[in-house]
Amino acid sequence: MIKVNTEDHPWNKPLTVQELLDEKGYIFPHIVVRINGQYIEEDDYATQLVQDGDDVLVLHLMAGG
Amino acid sequence: MKILAHKQEICTGCRNCEEACADFYFKRTDRNYSSIRITNNDNTFHATKCTQCGECINMCTSNAIYRDRLGVVRIDKNKCVGCLGCVGFCSELSMFYADDLPVPFKCVACNVCVKACPEGALEILVSKVKE
Amino acid sequence: MARKILKSYEYKPAKLNRGYTRKSLYINVGDLSVQAKDISQMMIDKFVGGKGFDLYYLWHATLPETKWDDPENEIVMSAGPLGGMTQYSGTGKTLVCGISPMTGIPIDSNVGGYYGPLLKFSGWDALELQGKSDKDLVIFIDGNKGLIQIEEDDGLPEDTHLLNEKLTEEYAEDEDDKVNISVVCTGSAAPHIRFGMLNFSFYDPRRKTCRVKQAARGGLGTILRDKKIKALVVKFKGVKPNLNDVADISTINKIGVKYAKEMHDLDQKQNGIRKIGTANTVAIMNKYDLLPTRNFQAGGDPEAVKIYPQVFIDNFITQGIHDGCWYGCTMSCAKTADHFKLLTGPYKGQCVTVDGPEYECVAGLGANLGVFDPRAILEENFYCDTYGVDLISFATCLAFVMECFERGQINLENTGGLDLHFGNSESVLEILHQMSRGEGFGVIVGQGTRRCKQIFVEKFGADPKLLQDIGMEVKGLEYAEYCHKESLAQQGGFALTNKGPQHDEAWLIFMDQVNKQIPSFEDKADALYYYPMFRTWFGLCGLCKLPWNDIVPADNGKTDDPAKVPEHVQNYVDIFNAVTGKSIDKDELIRQSERVYNFQRVFSVRMGHGTRAEDYPPYRSLGPVSKEEYLSRQEMYDKQIREVHGKDPESLSIEEKMLIQRKHRENQFEKLMDAVYKRRGWTNEGVPTAEHLASIGMDLPELLEVLETHENKEK
Repeated sequence: MIKVNTEDHPWNKPLTVQELLDEKGYIFPHIVVRINGQYIEEDDYATQLVQDGDDVLVLHLMAGG
Repeated sequence: MKILAHKQEICTGCRNCEEACADFYFKRTDRNYSSIRITNNDNTFHATKCTQCGECINMCTSNAIYRDRLGVVRIDKNKCVGCLGCVGFCSELSMFYADDLPVPFKCVACNVCVKACPEGALEILVSKVKE
Repeated sequence: MARKILKSYEYKPAKLNRGYTRKSLYINVGDLSVQAKDISQMMIDKFVGGKGFDLYYLWHATLPETKWDDPENEIVMSAGPLGGMTQYSGTGKTLVCGISPMTGIPIDSNVGGYYGPLLKFSGWDALELQGKSDKDLVIFIDGNKGLIQIEEDDGLPEDTHLLNEKLTEEYAEDEDDKVNISVVCTGSAAPHIRFGMLNFSFYDPRRKTCRVKQAARGGLGTILRDKKIKALVVKFKGVKPNLNDVADISTINKIGVKYAKEMHDLDQKQNGIRKIGTANTVAIMNKYDLLPTRNFQAGGDPEAVKIYPQVFIDNFITQGIHDGCWYGCTMSCAKTADHFKLLTGPYKGQCVTVDGPEYECVAGLGANLGVFDPRAILEENFYCDTYGVDLISFATCLAFVMECFERGQINLENTGGLDLHFGNSESVLEILHQMSRGEGFGVIVGQGTRRCKQIFVEKFGADPKLLQDIGMEVKGLEYAEYCHKESLAQQGGFALTNKGPQHDEAWLIFMDQVNKQIPSFEDKADALYYYPMFRTWFGLCGLCKLPWNDIVPADNGKTDDPAKVPEHVQNYVDIFNAVTGKSIDKDELIRQSERVYNFQRVFSVRMGHGTRAEDYPPYRSLGPVSKEEYLSRQEMYDKQIREVHGKDPESLSIEEKMLIQRKHRENQFEKLMDAVYKRRGWTNEGVPTAEHLASIGMDLPELLEVLETHENKEK
């Protein structure tokens, strides 16, 4: 089990940040990702792995209005 | 189309071109008023100057930038409101401004720096493309 | 031009210093008096400018019992001290206020176009229009000559696109001079409806046509026509980088260039505003279940792909040239569909330039009306603009009316034969044409949601409880276009506002619903304190808020609080100081707003409104009103029943589950109100306290008097 934006999310095997974003349906292009507080560069989404127990924050910097 | 060209292999970095440009247009010796800027990269000299690409023409917020009949990109000082948007938008970083000038300035391939270069490292290229 | 001049007034244009002329212009169209007023240091210190000045003047011009169509009601406008600068994006906004025909309390609306900045450069920080004329007027200000002329209308066209072209042509000396003219007007629908809006023009030298931006919300155009003002025209030649006579041009240039470079380098990777403006978000909203569909019943629809941004980019929207509504704006969001051929109405067959579509337009006139046809949306967009119709109120009100039609609350007989099923764009356009002609069912729709509810109940026998639940208005103003049922913070962001629900004050859906950044009531209250205050500041200074967070610096993600965009906040602090010569910091910025925000709330209290009782949203804003709505999100709602209430959803009927949800959600909203009022320094009834006003330096005698009167009344 991992946390994504404070909510539980099932974890079956190590997956990349990009795979997690796809799984969550987070298609918004303009986001900030932090794993256990650590900022992840966009270039690393395809390689950075999310491990069991990780606390993942996916901030959508959506402007709106 | 007229473009100022710079030959890196000949340039010695004397910067006479900068002085000539600043002096001719603004009667200044300060290189911050020059439309050509020479930078030293490990004793190879790079010239930052307008390539007359025209990216600034369509983005100009007061429709003040145009290409003249010789293909040179120019600023109409009567229309320009000095927003400096073009300075931030220039991919070549060769649109310049100074706080005491009402409008930005750029290379118009005028030949002043070419004449000032003791090494012959600068020249005006004229082509028929894009005119 | 041979219009009869009813009044001429010559003046010496005041010189600007540090962003201010310190003069305001008062015109009474009833007795044709014109007066130059001094702006006091107190006004500058406490009210800053823009909306602050507007509200200050409006307060002193009106009485607690003033109605929108009383002669003492005013239209007040002001550009703010930063307005008209050219070196930073989004610096040409005008703020307009008046007592609203929709809400009966002050409305404020912000708008691009050149009028406000050119008015300021003509010597006036603000303009007050009071009184009522008995004949249609044009008010012309020549800022170079120092001349004001009140002229009698000689049969000018009613609709904006014609009126603007004609007036611009008349007052400009030649083609090059047209950029120096700006017109404020409304359209033919405004006298017949309550949500008539104001168009502010600017001339587009590339398209060789007048463009418009709208002070749309709250019926300001309706007030303009009630005063029989046909148009305001300003002419000023000579816009330059430092007309504001700023304290520190160097800082302004540096920050401006840095920001323009950000836009050049990052917009394509971030929101793509330069390509499609605010409509870039339609696809995202649809995917995240937030695109209001068929009167906010759903948060999206598979058909919405037909109105995605790429469709407009590929087929309608002119690409590759500057589209700003004021000089220097590199965000360039004011897109157009050029050479657009109209298929209905009085201009059928003509090719026009459509200003838009913006997000609110595609979401409101599209998805929320069930219209998934980009062509129809653009045609609706054009007619809303030229007729002077606030398209947000129009769309949200009509969405409600269409749901009433679909649910059998009103019928063909009531609508005068118009089939108002969702998706019927022909009927939508016909309603607009009826508003323009002042006839038929369109005039009823034009009264707005609150009055439609009453009319449908009293005249057509509709169910008042259902209508109260699905009519998306608070305080009489229609909601902006976001389906926000699952975001408690955004429910507050809409309902706990001064002027009524709009997208100007707080936009917290993603922070709350997707990012889960503000889980507790205190967190939400903090956000509903900070963001409305921060965003109010744009309206004090004459700024657009889009450049704040529709693009962010490359390293914004690494900052402490990416949602606030700290570097851009600092840009604004630095620019404010560089213009005015003051030395505020980011906390004082919030305090500046807080003073005016509380002033506005007390203004509403003074008029017998502005309390908790009027801050309640319709239930559609909070949760599922209908079974269909429940079923469309059943999995999520059932999960909540299980987790939050500890009940087995399988053992409950839909009605029981809906009741549990409703009780819970209404209770949550009450708790949110408690937390927000507390955070804002207000009583539990939503009224600012005297102590709080003192703590922010806003304990002016006229405000304290209102609080005292209110207290006595309560006792």
